[in-house]
Amino acid sequence: MAYDKPIPRPSPHTMPFWEGTKNGKLMLPRCTHCNRVHWYPRHICPFCHSTALEWIEGSGEGRLHTFAVQHRAFGGWAEEIPFVTAYIDLDEGDRMLTVLRGVDPENPESIRIGSRVKVEFEQADNDIHIPFWRVVEEGA
Amino acid sequence: MNTQFSRSAAIVGAAEATEIGYLKDPKTAIQLHIEAIKAVSDQTGIPISSIDGIFSAGWSSELAEHLGIHPKYIDTTQVGGCSFEMHVHHAMAAIYAGIIDVALISHGQNGYSMRKVGGSGPRRGLGNDNSPASQMTSAYGLSGAPSNYSHAMTRYNYVYGTTPEDFAHVAKVTRDWATLNPRAVMHSKETHKAGGPITIEDVQSARIVSWPLTLLHCCLVTDHGGAVLLTRPEIARSLKTRPVWVAGAGESMGHSNMLEMEDFTATSAMASSAAAYEMAGMGPDDMEMALVYDSFTVTAAITMEMLGLAPRGQGYRLWKDGDAAPGGRLPINTNGGGLSFNHSGMYGMQLLIEAYRQLSGTAEDGINGLPGKQTGASTCIVNGTGGSLSTTGTLVLVAD
Ligand SMILES: [Zn+2]
Repeated sequence: MAYDKPIPRPSPHTMPFWEGTKNGKLMLPRCTHCNRVHWYPRHICPFCHSTALEWIEGSGEGRLHTFAVQHRAFGGWAEEIPFVTAYIDLDEGDRMLTVLRGVDPENPESIRIGSRVKVEFEQADNDIHIPFWRVVEEGA
Repeated sequence: MNTQFSRSAAIVGAAEATEIGYLKDPKTAIQLHIEAIKAVSDQTGIPISSIDGIFSAGWSSELAEHLGIHPKYIDTTQVGGCSFEMHVHHAMAAIYAGIIDVALISHGQNGYSMRKVGGSGPRRGLGNDNSPASQMTSAYGLSGAPSNYSHAMTRYNYVYGTTPEDFAHVAKVTRDWATLNPRAVMHSKETHKAGGPITIEDVQSARIVSWPLTLLHCCLVTDHGGAVLLTRPEIARSLKTRPVWVAGAGESMGHSNMLEMEDFTATSAMASSAAAYEMAGMGPDDMEMALVYDSFTVTAAITMEMLGLAPRGQGYRLWKDGDAAPGGRLPINTNGGGLSFNHSGMYGMQLLIEAYRQLSGTAEDGINGLPGKQTGASTCIVNGTGGSLSTTGTLVLVAD
């Protein structure tokens, strides 16, 4: 079945990220001056204000920072309720939003903040593969 | 130091549109604006033609054009529901600088009627639809404020060991206040089929919107128009209304997108209130009541901590222990809040109007033998929160 949920549209600035997802890589912007990774992609390092930025291949691993269970949604997502949205602390630093896989939305008390998570990619159309994260090991 | 600004301007009137809430006959946002502006002009005796500064969270030039005025100061600050607290801050600075004499801050939003007549309802996302932040969030099925704020409550409960039931007390007590306000949407069974008092069980057994938030942890989406006038002390003293002095004002932001929220249990209200307290030469212990943005139960509880009125991790206790309730030590959200009074998408104006009424002694009396809605407080801290726990504006207001 065709992917029926919102599909992001790349801009020139974010193209390296979306190109990476097609190859199963989680590309992250990093400042060459202070070496910190930031998310979402900027034109300037939000930490030291250098504009000397580069893309690096991230590990695709992190921890669950917090989550919610969506019982109301629109478009293609309405068919999926309830589903779990989550913020992920990347091992490289900073945080991503995702829909979390490998958890039971009907039993939110069973979902553990701090759980180890790993990225995976779903093909949405010819150009876009969307990153989703999956719990791989329950945290403390 | 910004203390020289303190009390350089007063709110001299505050009024609402003729009808607010779930309007049977739909109205546009501009009509709600105009009804409120007309009412505040009548209330204060300040002619609309005397307004020389205009502040609204929309297209202020269009509003001025509707009024047929040509202001000298035009401010369209739109950073969510706290915009109106920031407008007071900006208006005060413009008055202090001698640029203007009379500032109009106006609000019109048909969060409910827009379903029938279109127009300016709940705020849309900021900026470019295809911004990098939007590209990295739009794929994940979030559907507005509740779907974001729920993440904050989950994290808060993880950090502090609290439960959704703890926050349900905010909804219950705020509803108690609404039962004292005949204009509150949830005042009684007469005003709404789900109106009147509620229990903790009612809050927790309501339909889940975005776990851990049930429907009753979330604010209303209604129609509202409101307007306030600010002016310099000499003019304020000459009017028929009682002035309420802006002793302190401050604004701040943590982030714009929740993706950039560093600590999900804290907001920039700590910084904006520090600025407001400093300007006022006052502190949390001097505040006799509080009006804080309760977009969600968790918003209000965190905000009280940020304002220095509760220890971190214990904001909800103000409601659970009865301090915030009618007759309590520190009344909070005496109009019934965004949870049970009215919330049109942006709620900062409703906060200003209730603060003016309380501090000018013009809030409605209590009914049914319950403690009055008029608290008798002479100081009030007002905090608006906009976006996704993003931006904040704080005011310290004092009675004349
Ligand atoms: Zn840097």
